[in-house]
Order: sequence, then structure tokens, then C-alpha cells
Amino acid sequence: MKKRGKSRWLLHLFPLPALLIYVMFVVYPIFSAFTYSMYEWKGIARGAFVGWDNFLTLFQVEPFNKMFWNAFGHNVIYFVVEMIVQNGIAFALAFLIYRKIRGSGFLKIAYFMPRLLSVIVVGFLWKLILNPNYGALNTLLGKLGLEEWAKPWLGDPDTALLAIILVNCWFGIGFAMLIFLAGLQSIPEELIEAARLDGARGATLLFRIILPLVMPSITIMTVFTFIQAFEAFELVYAMQGSQGEPFRSTDTLAVYFYRLAFSGSGGAGDVSIGLGSALAVVLFVIVASVSAISLKLMRKREVQH
Amino acid sequence: MRRFRIHRFGSMMLAGLLLLAGCSGNAGPSPADSGQTGQSGQTGSSAGGSTGGGEQVTVSMHSWRVEDAEGYKKIIEAFEKENPNIKIDFKPFKATEYNTILNTALQSESGPDILQLRPYAPGVSLAEAGHLEPLDNLPGIQNFSKDVLAAATGKDGKVYGVPLSLNSTQIYYNKKLFEQHGLSEPKSWDDLIGTAKTLKEKGIIPFAFGAKEGWLLSLSHGVIAPGTYNGNAFVNKILQGQADFTSPEFVQSIQRMQELVPYFPENFAGLDLNDTRTLFFTEKAAMFINGSFELEGLQKMNPDLAIDFFPMPTEDGNTVLTTWVDGSYAVNSKAKHKAEALKFLEFMATKQFGELFANEFKRISAVPGVQTSDPLVNKMAELSQSNATPYLMVVHFAEGNPTTKQTLENALQGMYLNKLTPEQVVDEVQKSAASWFPPFKK
Repeated sequence: MKKRGKSRWLLHLFPLPALLIYVMFVVYPIFSAFTYSMYEWKGIARGAFVGWDNFLTLFQVEPFNKMFWNAFGHNVIYFVVEMIVQNGIAFALAFLIYRKIRGSGFLKIAYFMPRLLSVIVVGFLWKLILNPNYGALNTLLGKLGLEEWAKPWLGDPDTALLAIILVNCWFGIGFAMLIFLAGLQSIPEELIEAARLDGARGATLLFRIILPLVMPSITIMTVFTFIQAFEAFELVYAMQGSQGEPFRSTDTLAVYFYRLAFSGSGGAGDVSIGLGSALAVVLFVIVASVSAISLKLMRKREVQH
Repeated sequence: MRRFRIHRFGSMMLAGLLLLAGCSGNAGPSPADSGQTGQSGQTGSSAGGSTGGGEQVTVSMHSWRVEDAEGYKKIIEAFEKENPNIKIDFKPFKATEYNTILNTALQSESGPDILQLRPYAPGVSLAEAGHLEPLDNLPGIQNFSKDVLAAATGKDGKVYGVPLSLNSTQIYYNKKLFEQHGLSEPKSWDDLIGTAKTLKEKGIIPFAFGAKEGWLLSLSHGVIAPGTYNGNAFVNKILQGQADFTSPEFVQSIQRMQELVPYFPENFAGLDLNDTRTLFFTEKAAMFINGSFELEGLQKMNPDLAIDFFPMPTEDGNTVLTTWVDGSYAVNSKAKHKAEALKFLEFMATKQFGELFANEFKRISAVPGVQTSDPLVNKMAELSQSNATPYLMVVHFAEGNPTTKQTLENALQGMYLNKLTPEQVVDEVQKSAASWFPPFKK
């Protein structure tokens, strides 16, 4: 009895390091960002308490409001394209591997490969591929006789954002595929057998039986994708820098936040920690609330097996 | 239940202890540090300005140039030889972290005696907060030109820093390619366009240029524009509010940026500094608009490159070189060894320091009349004495949020992507400047 009590005491200590790190690096910064957003800032010196002023500036004063909605729109596009392209392809691949087509073991590894690279490397690699002068993509198009399709992909505001998002999809497919595959593989074999015996085939089997059963992984992936899309920063920064270039066509909320809070251009005169913190708080509220609500709603549609 | 509470209390205590340990770990060195310097500070102040006898004093000096540490060692040695009682403790920090480190140190009054000051508005804002010692009476400071001192002059008109070096921007060109096609340095805008046309006809890219990175657009505009507005006359008008960015000279400067488009590389909208630099040093492109700080790298990448530069021809038959000051050194108003720190700054204003600096770092010293071993750097230094015009966007319009400089960059990018006309670019720039620039607000 005594011994058991002692080990229990120890159990309380185990989460401590993780908790400590979590509090120091997640909880504390969230609260400090919230307090920072309530002050006026002169460079990095904290000025007077101004309440909601920074938030009002963010949403009512030009060019801040324009840049906010511009970036917000790009985050939405990010989310939609990732849902369709990344998760769509990932699900198809997961399904093929689940049905054990030939070489599925190899495919699983191959599709997961990009994930092993660091985002910065991925960004640099694709910057080279997409380079308008000597990049592999334009060279390839030239060899195929499609010269007129060659473009400065990352320099043209019509293609730059899409190019980055597609690179992100390429990077993320492997992870999404594994999540879907795990979901598919957790479906009891008997259930599928039973459905088959009842005459379900092809599309019916997929849409009426399998999809509802893998709903938990779809929920998770949707929320993941949402968070990823709204916090999109590394790849955009690696490929286009902090100005959302060209002409703000690749700006996302996180890049905009970085520019506001830490000054993208290297000068120190334009740092506005107050506005940056306010934007961080807004971003936090968007991501946290949408994630919570969607988890709640989508859980309802899940089927237990 | 009760036991659980004790456990919880215990773990909270533990967490608290760890946090405390973490904090004191960070704060640890600084009290010890200040204690030490405080001690020597007493001896320093007792020795006062007279450095003839007495004990040695250590003056702390902060900079953002980690890569220059070795070079400074030699420069400081030269100073210490003449001033055996003063030791300079040079401490560089990572450039991107420097502002944060310096600002927090100044606020907690543990700042260094001497600090490197960012040029123009961002740097002199420290003076407004009362952190800097005015240097108007420093021997040697009067030798610097007013434009150079402007980088370290506060809104109150007092000088707060000894300028260190000058940057210049100009048009580099490939001498070999020019000679092959019988071209010489253009003497006017039409001449420049004619030169570009000839090069294009010969299958050479006239300008290594890319629009992907905004800062390069404002930099290039900084070179092209003074040609349309004849350098300083217009700059002074703008500063006094007698002209603004909608003036025809300025509009023309933006139009000229557009006029150059046919002479840019294919797909230039997607090229960045790396790409354009490569086009130039691999001799595919004949001209390259860029800064003095690119020179050393270009020479390293292709030692056989016959590189030269020309300043921008102006409408009135003159030429201008666009310059700005890159940092200066200031004294903390709460310095522990103010007299000794001032002594070092006095040294920084001498020709001896300028020469040491220029040769050590291959940069233009801000001290007037300093020669280096590199003929191109000397040519830049000479022109920056005789034909200089300020890089308007860095020197006078790096304020606002986003800064007027950034606004210009973004708008020029828009123009090169056919989203804005030159007139719209001008409107954006004017709107941004009017939001903060006092003479435009009236």
C-alpha cells in the first residue's frame, strides 16, 4: 500500500517538465502578447496603455485593414487548395495503398519522403526549380515545346501564391496519407466483408461504408490543415521573404504579423509591437475558435464501429 | 485528497524554483559585470579627463558587426598604444538581435559606454529617449559634412554620433563588354538608353535587374531618380515642403524606371539579387545597379571581371552618386566612463582612424579625404565628397508604418507587374509620406 502511494507521488512529477515547457513557451507568450497588444509602443519601448486601439487600427486604418483582409483571403485560399489538392490526393493514395496495389510499401515511403526535408530546404529547392532563367520547370517546358507556358512563377502575382501552396501540398501529402491510411486500416475487416455480402460495391462501399468510418481521421486532418493554412509562414518566408512579394500577392496573416512585429525590411524604425501583438491575438482567436467548433461539429458526424 | 494537494503544492514549488533558477541564470552575469565596471568606474571618474596618470579604465563598446571583430582589434590596439590608461572592450552582437539587446540594456541602465548607432530615424530615436550624449563639441566632428552628420543628428539639431562609413549606389558596368562594342560611360539619360539599346542589339542583357525583391527596387530608384531631379536642389525643396512627390521631376523618375523595362532580362519579375548578381559577374549582363557593398563580392566571384562604375548623369549635365551613412558611434548618456568614451570617439573622427578602417574593411570611411588601396573605392570616396546626393528613401523617408520606403518598393513592384501606372506609384508614395512627414502635413 505504502509502496503504491510512493510511486503515485512520482507519477505526478512526470508531466512536470513538459508542463513547464508548455507554460513557458505557449501559455505565457499568449498572455504576454495579449498584454502587449493593449499598449502603445515606441520602437521597442512600451508606452501608454491604449486599450483596444491597436485592434481598431488593425481593422479600420488604411493600409493595415487592407493588408489584413488581403492576407486573410490568401489564408482561405491556402486552406481550400490544401483541402482539395493535398488531402484529396492523399486520400486517393491512402486508399490505393490500403487496397494493397503492387509496390504499396514502396509508395508509402516514396510519398512520405518530402516530409523528411526541412521546410527551408524544400523552399530553397523549389525556388531553384521554379527559377525563371535556369529553373528545371521552365527548362522542361522548353524541351516539351511549350515555351509560351514558361513563366516567372514566383515573380508573377497570378501564379506565386498557387505555386507556394502546391509546394506545401507536395510537402504535406505524405503526412496526410499516413493519417488516412491509419484510419482506413483501423476499419474492422468484418464490417467490409458484411457490406460486401449485402451487395455494396465500388462507390457505394466507399461513400456509404468506408468514408463514414474514417471520419475521425478526416476530422483530424481538416483541423490540422486549417491550423496549418492559417499559420502558413515558413514556406512563404523561405520562398518570398517577409514582404509578401510580389506586390503582396503571397502575404499571409503570419507573414504580415512577422512584418509588423519584427520589421521585415531590416530597419528598426517601423517595428510596431503593439499592432503585431494585436494581430497575433486575432490569429490565435481565429485558429482556436474555428478548430474547437469544427472539432465539435464534425465529431457529431462520426460513426462508431 | 489531502495528500494530493500536498503533491500539487510540491510540484508547483518545484516549478517555481526551476523558473527562479532560470531567471537568475540569465540575470546572473550582469550584476557581477556592473559591479566590476562600477569599481573601475570610481577610479575612472577620479582620474577624470586627465589621462596622464592613474589606473587603467575599461570602456565597453557594442556593435552589430560580428564579422568586423578581428579588424577592430587592430584599430583598438592603435588607440590603446597612445592611450595606455584606456582599454576598449569591443563586443559585437548578431545584427538582427542588436537592437533588442541594446534597447533593453539602455532601459535597464546597464548599457555600454560606446554604442554603434543605426543610421537616421531608427538610430536617433534613442536620442529622443535621452539615452545619448550630444557630441557637438567633440574635436574633429566639424570636419564631417552636414549630410554625413545628418545620419546621427537628432530632431533637436544636435549631433549624437561619429559617422563610421558611407555606402554608395551607382551603376556598375563591364568594361570589357563596353569596349568590345565601342561604348563609353553615358553622359546623359538618352545616352544611357542608347547604350542599352546597342547592347541589346548585340545580344547582351543591358541591365542585370530583378523585381522580385522590393528593397532592390528602391535602391535602383535611388540611383536613377537624382538624374531627373538634379540631385540636391530638389531634395532640399522636398525637405522644406516646397515640393512633394507629385512634382513632375519625381513623376519622371518613376517613368524612367518603367522606360528601362525593355532592357531588363527576360522574366525579370521573378529574379532576385542572387540571380541578377550572377548575370552580371558571368558577363551575360553589362550593367548592374547596386551598392558599394557588392563590390568585394563581385570581385571575389569573378576575379577576371573588368568592373568599373559610373555615377548617374543628371539633366543639367552633371553627375551624382547616391550615398548614405551606414551607422555611427555614440556615447551612452549614462556611461560609466564618459570622458574616456569621448576620447575614443575623438579618435574615430581622425584621419588615422579613417585610414585604418578603410583599409581593414575595404569600405568608404566617413572621415573626409581618406584614401584606400582599392582604386574603385577611392573613386567612390572622391565622388561622395564632390557629387553626392542622399538616398532619399533611406535618409529621409524611412519612417511611417509601413515606411514610405517600403511603400515605394511595393508600388514599384506593382508597376513592373503592370498593376499600377507611374502616376499611381507616385500617389501611393505621396499618401504614405503625408501620413507622417511634418512638412507635408501642413
